[in-house]
Amino acid sequence: MSTDPSTRGMWRVVAQREASVQVRQKSFRWSTVISVLGVVLFVVGLHWFQGRDQDRTVAVVDAEAAAIVSSAADVARAADDRVSVESEQHDDVAAAEDAVRDGDADAALVLTTEGWEVVGDRDVDSTLSTSLSVAARSAALEANASAQDVDLAALESGAAVGERLLDPTADESGTRQAVSFVFVLLFFLTAIGFGMAIAGSVTQEKESRVVEILAAAVPIRQLLWGKIAANTVLAVGQVVLYAVAGVAALLATGQRGVLDVVGTPLLWYVLFFLVGFVALASLWSVAGSLASRQQDLQSTTLPAQLLVMGPYFLAVLGGEQLKTIFSMVPVVSSMMMPARMAETDVPWWQVAVALGGTVLAAIVLVRIGARVYERTLLRTGDKISYREALRLAE
Amino acid sequence: MLTVESLTRAFGDTVVVDDVSFQVRPGRMTGFVGANGAGKTTTMRMMMGVLAPTSGRVLWDGHDVTAAERRRFGYMPEERGLYPRMAVADQLVYFARLHGMDAPSARARTADLLEHFGLSERAGDLLDTLSLGNQQRVQIAAALVHEPTALVLDEPFSGLDPLAVDSMVDLLRDEAGTLPVLFSSHQLDLVERLCDDLVVLSRGRVVASGSADALRGSARERHRVRLGGDAAWLRDVRGLTVLDADGPTALLELEDLAVAELVRLLTERADVLEVATVRQPLSEIFREVTR
Repeated sequence: MSTDPSTRGMWRVVAQREASVQVRQKSFRWSTVISVLGVVLFVVGLHWFQGRDQDRTVAVVDAEAAAIVSSAADVARAADDRVSVESEQHDDVAAAEDAVRDGDADAALVLTTEGWEVVGDRDVDSTLSTSLSVAARSAALEANASAQDVDLAALESGAAVGERLLDPTADESGTRQAVSFVFVLLFFLTAIGFGMAIAGSVTQEKESRVVEILAAAVPIRQLLWGKIAANTVLAVGQVVLYAVAGVAALLATGQRGVLDVVGTPLLWYVLFFLVGFVALASLWSVAGSLASRQQDLQSTTLPAQLLVMGPYFLAVLGGEQLKTIFSMVPVVSSMMMPARMAETDVPWWQVAVALGGTVLAAIVLVRIGARVYERTLLRTGDKISYREALRLAE
Repeated sequence: MLTVESLTRAFGDTVVVDDVSFQVRPGRMTGFVGANGAGKTTTMRMMMGVLAPTSGRVLWDGHDVTAAERRRFGYMPEERGLYPRMAVADQLVYFARLHGMDAPSARARTADLLEHFGLSERAGDLLDTLSLGNQQRVQIAAALVHEPTALVLDEPFSGLDPLAVDSMVDLLRDEAGTLPVLFSSHQLDLVERLCDDLVVLSRGRVVASGSADALRGSARERHRVRLGGDAAWLRDVRGLTVLDADGPTALLELEDLAVAELVRLLTERADVLEVATVRQPLSEIFREVTR
């Protein structure tokens, strides 16, 4: 039957109907809108937690202190480019201290008989405190050096201590973990949502008996391909939409740095989702064809649900080693691997094992799935067990 | 012409359809009758390729039917099935396209059919908002929408009220035209009204088949007579059997007696008010062959 050329393209007609029914569904539209909003909010939150600009105000009473504050601002920016420091002129020390007490200023810089003093209310932000003391010290050193006629540059030569980080992305680890979690969560939600949609639409055709007419018109496999194609396109489309929303939000909030780190894993994520979804899709359609009523779906979709839920919990709760192992297990890897890639740098061969394994699994699962589907779709009456289904497919 | 040849189907050890052969001729309505469980639906599903036969063949114009040819048949399954939450026109267009029609012709044909069925105004409505009679019309439309080359209709009248049955009968007569049409039914009076040919199935086997007239003809002729007086004496006449006698009327089956001889015999012995040939209703033929 499947060799008949007149029916070869029929899956497209099936897919068209399937997609148009899905797209018209309220639940589909809402889940898309809510997820896109969620992604955008996540990125904005990331920006807020990790990258909030810190504006510091220092109360001063004279121009000398103001000059020290302005050079402290340079020191602070060198340490952390999100920190900016400004001075605020007050009439006397008491007024400056009042400003600190009232919270109008983060600190005050005043001259005492023993030298400069940083006055805070309860504590002083360490970056601010350090940069003020460095600035005050070097101002004093400079003044003393010229008073003593000493070459300050010569005095300081070799005293500078530089900094070099072996793992410059380590301070992104919080961000990466968060992104990895979002990957897993969206994978989980999208795969479950569309998976249940596939199973539900198969069972609906069985339940309403329309499947008898469909089966008389086209080979059953064409029905299966149509369903898998439509839902895969929609699901991958949704994931791409989330990715685009995420990237746009990152760019809009000026977090190009995060994009540098998660950009590549994001591309892998879409690819893994595609392969993983196709592998699971046949399982979902079999779940639909084993059920004879919508109520049966709860139990027949269990294997597919476990395959999606398992990696979700592993990814959230599992230890490093467990994640490494499961990120290479076929199908499960499609969810675990991109999450791991977002979190740390993964050796390329592990990515290859994960992808290759899942592609193979997808081919095998789709083949077995199609056989089972063909042999169970037209059996109405009772729910069919997986064991019986496999026996029928032999 | 649609031909079924030695079609057999077993489920496990149970043979449901046993060596069934018959023909559905073009331009003729073939009634397919039999008790519940006689194997009608199973036979029809095998004809449509929805169920694989254990053995036997389905032929189209003398050769094994191909998948492409079979796709052009129109089918109304016993268990009605359409998409309940899909607009009427949308699903008809979908079915037409699944049968290989291109989208514009599918839409045009759908519009024509809906108009013909008086359902144009409901084209955009969801199926489950229609009355049962109208849903049944849509179901028939689904079997006709792709301009089929043959029709296989499983119980097309079940669940219809008498008025809906009448309009369905008219509709089938209109639409069938030169197609071979096979339809099953429990309602023998309907089959009688509608069918040209008849296939009677009993316990998975064909017990009678052929044109309805021929089947009627094969039974012995029966005559009803009404006499001036009591007709009971006819029981003693040789060469005929009295099936029923009630006062002056009797129902006779002639054995080796010609009608002319019967009339002569009657007029010799009584006042003859009526001698009539009785057309045997199909329901009786059915009862006899499935006994």
